[in-house]
Amino acid sequence: MALFFQTSQQGFQTLLWKCRLFWPVSRCQQLFAVSFSIPNREKVSYFSFMTSSNTALPVGSKRTDVFPTKKRSEINSEEKRGWDEETKEVSEEKRHFSSSVGAPKKRLMSQVLSRHKFTNVQPPEKPLEAEEWNRLRESFPSPEIFEEVMFNSMVRCNSPIDVAKSLLTHVAKSNGDIAYNLLVKYLVLCVQQRQTSEICDVYDIMKIRFKILESGAYNLLIRGLSNSDQWRMALTLLEEVKKIMTPSRTNYESCIKAASRHQEMNLAFELYREMLAKDLIPTLDVLQAFFDFSRGMKGAELQKELFGILLYLRENQIYPHKTFMRSIKLWFESIPGGNWRGHLTNIKDSGQCPVCNHQLEDSDLTEEEYNNLRERIIRDVIHGTDTFRKTSPQEFEAFQTFVENRLPFDIVIDGLNVSHIKPRRMQCENLFDAVNCLAKENARLLVLGRKHMLINSSNWKREIMKEMQNKADFFFAENISEDDAFLLYATLRSGKHCKFVTRDFLRDHKACLSNSLTRHLFRKWQRGHQIVFSPSVEGKHINFLPAFRYDCVVQTTGDTWHIPYKDTFEEKYSYQVPRKWLCIQQK
Amino acid sequence: MQSANMLLKKFVRSSVLPFAAQHGMKKDLFPVSRTLSLSLCLKQDNSCNPSEKLDLDAWKKVMKSGLQEEVSETVSEHKELSTLAAAREILEMWRLAGRSVPENISEEQLKTFMECPSKSAKKKYLRYLYLKELYKKNDRRKMDEKRERRLETEERDSKTDETRRNSFICLWASCMDRAYSWRVAQSMIFGQPLVFDMSYEKDMSIREVANTVRQIVLSEGCNRRSVDPFHIHFCNFKDDSLYHKEFVKQYREAWGKLLITATDQCYTEVFPKDKLIYLTADSPKVMKTFDHDKIYIIGSMVDKSIKTGVSLARAKRLGLETAALPLEKYLLWNAGAKNLTLDQMMRILLTLKDTGDWKAALEFVPKRKYCGFVSRPVHELKKSLNLINTLKLGKRQEELRKQFTKNYSKKLMQK
Repeated sequence: MALFFQTSQQGFQTLLWKCRLFWPVSRCQQLFAVSFSIPNREKVSYFSFMTSSNTALPVGSKRTDVFPTKKRSEINSEEKRGWDEETKEVSEEKRHFSSSVGAPKKRLMSQVLSRHKFTNVQPPEKPLEAEEWNRLRESFPSPEIFEEVMFNSMVRCNSPIDVAKSLLTHVAKSNGDIAYNLLVKYLVLCVQQRQTSEICDVYDIMKIRFKILESGAYNLLIRGLSNSDQWRMALTLLEEVKKIMTPSRTNYESCIKAASRHQEMNLAFELYREMLAKDLIPTLDVLQAFFDFSRGMKGAELQKELFGILLYLRENQIYPHKTFMRSIKLWFESIPGGNWRGHLTNIKDSGQCPVCNHQLEDSDLTEEEYNNLRERIIRDVIHGTDTFRKTSPQEFEAFQTFVENRLPFDIVIDGLNVSHIKPRRMQCENLFDAVNCLAKENARLLVLGRKHMLINSSNWKREIMKEMQNKADFFFAENISEDDAFLLYATLRSGKHCKFVTRDFLRDHKACLSNSLTRHLFRKWQRGHQIVFSPSVEGKHINFLPAFRYDCVVQTTGDTWHIPYKDTFEEKYSYQVPRKWLCIQQK
Repeated sequence: MQSANMLLKKFVRSSVLPFAAQHGMKKDLFPVSRTLSLSLCLKQDNSCNPSEKLDLDAWKKVMKSGLQEEVSETVSEHKELSTLAAAREILEMWRLAGRSVPENISEEQLKTFMECPSKSAKKKYLRYLYLKELYKKNDRRKMDEKRERRLETEERDSKTDETRRNSFICLWASCMDRAYSWRVAQSMIFGQPLVFDMSYEKDMSIREVANTVRQIVLSEGCNRRSVDPFHIHFCNFKDDSLYHKEFVKQYREAWGKLLITATDQCYTEVFPKDKLIYLTADSPKVMKTFDHDKIYIIGSMVDKSIKTGVSLARAKRLGLETAALPLEKYLLWNAGAKNLTLDQMMRILLTLKDTGDWKAALEFVPKRKYCGFVSRPVHELKKSLNLINTLKLGKRQEELRKQFTKNYSKKLMQK
């Protein structure tokens, strides 16, 4: 048998090779001039006729090689198509053997996802008789997944629970059993409509029927029960989940919310601590729930716990969103005998709070933190897995001695980044302007560039480069080296007064750092030391936005709290910081 | 060969429809018959009002009653399970819940699953196994169908029973194999070397290593069947490395008879340094022509999470010349990374070696990654674009530049 296949395959290849008939047609089509006037958007459609190769042509035009490396079975059936004259038959063949070569994955996926295809099924309004269900089932294109699809659409349309029950009854009577996935889907419907008794019933049935449940069902049960007066049951379920896997953070969220809703603050905090111990990151909802439900409650212990949450926000540089911020403010103001007052404000560039005139923490790192960060930058960002990836040992050595000999700098400039500030001008002019702007007050400048800047070209005029080198120190890295890493090193090496100039957000460098603590440190340092600039509309002027003087985190002095907050819930980029603050002070 | 053609024609003509129809019908008939009987029972009490008659909680009774006996057994069995068994149970439940979980899972796979560091990693691994299983099932189904069809045609052929005369005995495959082996053997002596750098093991996950080896096997196959094969070298190849294990898994007993040179030496020790060119997509230099006296190095690495500059770093460390394929120059790039798979690289290099035609060679770049060939080199297009721009805008840019330099020299004079 094997021999037969081999021979036929070989025979075909040579045959195909000889008869040009099977040479892909698309080849000839591809050799045409591409005119450059096509805008980017239309390019795809313009070429689309040549890229759709696996359906348009009966011969597999994907195959441009003479010696294909495909499975034999596929080869045979594909070649067969070549013999066929009528494309109609081909398509039928395709359907039966699914011998698609181009997209076997797609086909597989379609098998997998077929149950999600029917989104237009309307669930009935009222409970139906078994017979009516049968009729519906038969009219359905693929009866074997009818119940599943029907349940999905019921969940989507939030059908009355009785309709779902009637379908379950029908299934139970015809099969004598109900599949687990249908039970879970029914559970979704119950949770959606807060049918507590039904949830309990389904749980009982599931427990009888199955030894253990899986995470999806547990999630639903815990969520459904924690929203009801049976919330203690959710806690026992959580214990059950712990036996077989780590509960998800939403499990904890439901339980904590239920506990705090019933004023069981100690229990809630216990769960919260357990969650942190399991390295789960609490959702902002959980944290907000703590503040919401402890409003007006007395107790030094409780207050300490909530301050602890605020410090957790500080540690992890999390900014609460507006509603969360409001919860915090209301809780502070509701503390009996606390005399706390909250105001919303914007902090000035000087870092002074306009409400209480308190000066916010400055963004400088301690000496230890500086050294730590510098070591980390050298180890993770510059060297990484292989020093040669970003630079070379000799070059880094040379740079280090260069910096040591000329310390300290006041401003380090990313030359290439600055030179692109105005695209319509020569790059060296841009750099020249920036250097001129920054070179006032005898500041010591270091400009980092690459060697190609030294070669006289239309963008880099030699005389201008010479002129600039009188005003600033220059270091030129190899053309294939990373200059950003050098920028970070030189700035950190110069100490805390040194700033750097680039429009880069430095995200990829932050990502190189190995632990989150250092990453936070890096961001803090970046905020305090990065000068961002933008070209002004007229003339040579460049606007520099000075670095933040103050640190943008939740902070306290004991009798004041300053909490930065986001306007919306959506995640900000890690380099953006909110400008709005909540100032809370004790009278 | 002819006989095979005949067979094929017959395959196509023998329609498969009746066969499939039978199968399909069988599937559908069963439930239909059952539901029919049920609906008969139900018709009898159709006389009363449905809303009163419909017992909505009947399903609970069915579920509880029918399973009470089983339950008592399961409860008695309920003891502490081993972790593996527990994991198996969870997987089973996930499968019932309709997640992408394989039906059968081996102990080894289960252990791998348990060792996955995160929930998402577990999910991905399960999905991978699930798809693998699906592919396997489909392949088996296709094989069975094909066998049936072949048997049918053979029966029909045996009825006609015509003896065919042929001057060749059917030994195609082995003959071809022998011819290929001769060629490769010749290339081992006289051929141009091509180096696979096997030093990336620690940069990859186990699955990536497996993929790498799979791709090398494919490229070795292409090379063997080409008109003028390369002499393949595996350099930095350590015995008992992951690579080695995977190769043995792929080639089985053929691994010892393979016509390649595997060495644990570095390519810089085997070949003169000035002849080596390291091919890497990160290289600043673009390959213009294929050089027949040079020795090209391909890094055997699959990087699913794109690790930029790893192979370039290696070349920099050894001070080797590097080159990248001129993909930008000849193709209108559409999407996707510019690092190609090893077998694609092999085919491109083989084609270049035989013809020197970039267009023919770059046919092997996946079609989804580019929109078409560029008829004229891109820099020419840019030139004409600049020309048009200058025509449109007048000679403004040039003038501006000149003016700036004038002003600038004035400034210098003033100082």
